[in-house]
Amino acid sequence: MNAKAVRVGVDLVPLARARAIVERPSDRVLRRLFSIEEQSLLQRAGNGWDVEGVAGRLAAKEAVFKLLPADGKTLPWCSIEILSGKGRRPLVRLDGRALELANQVGLGPIDVSISHDGDYAIAVAAAAASL
Amino acid sequence: MTSTPVQATGIDRVRGWILGRHADRTELADDVNIIDTRLVDSLSFVELIYTIEEASGTEIDFDSIDIEDFQSLDTIRKAFFA
Repeated sequence: MNAKAVRVGVDLVPLARARAIVERPSDRVLRRLFSIEEQSLLQRAGNGWDVEGVAGRLAAKEAVFKLLPADGKTLPWCSIEILSGKGRRPLVRLDGRALELANQVGLGPIDVSISHDGDYAIAVAAAAASL
Repeated sequence: MTSTPVQATGIDRVRGWILGRHADRTELADDVNIIDTRLVDSLSFVELIYTIEEASGTEIDFDSIDIEDFQSLDTIRKAFFA
């Protein structure tokens, strides 16, 4: 039986950074950060982007990325999706390059928690991985 | 006689964008590693790509990026403005 260890990743994103991205004249950067499904979760009907949601998901993606064997690699933003699970709990879905990296270390199901307070969003990700 | 404004070169636009994010810096040498010094982090990296695309008029395939091309203004120049 393969030994397992728990990997943990954490990240903090100031709301000001998310706001600066949201307020850019073009959505091009946002489209590179979020999948189509995520974009639909983050857009408020007739009221633009949810800045807190953007910051929280960015923090969660970074936290998940820290679980992966990704030294020297760029963050594959759209292949780490933060969706809505049961009870609006964040649900992580990997594909493409992120999934390949996760498979390299036998990463198990990933759990993520996101919190907001004041000017910041913070996220923690955890999963079991092969030693 | 009227003077013609000097157009910033593409790499100078990239330099200006990086400096604009760091009020404590007034200059950025071409050989400074912008990743190791965290002048560009993983989140601002996406914006850096966008800035290079706008300044160079090219589109960068995010999935086939070679991180070595983005280590400094020197490497960015060679990869996208040569």
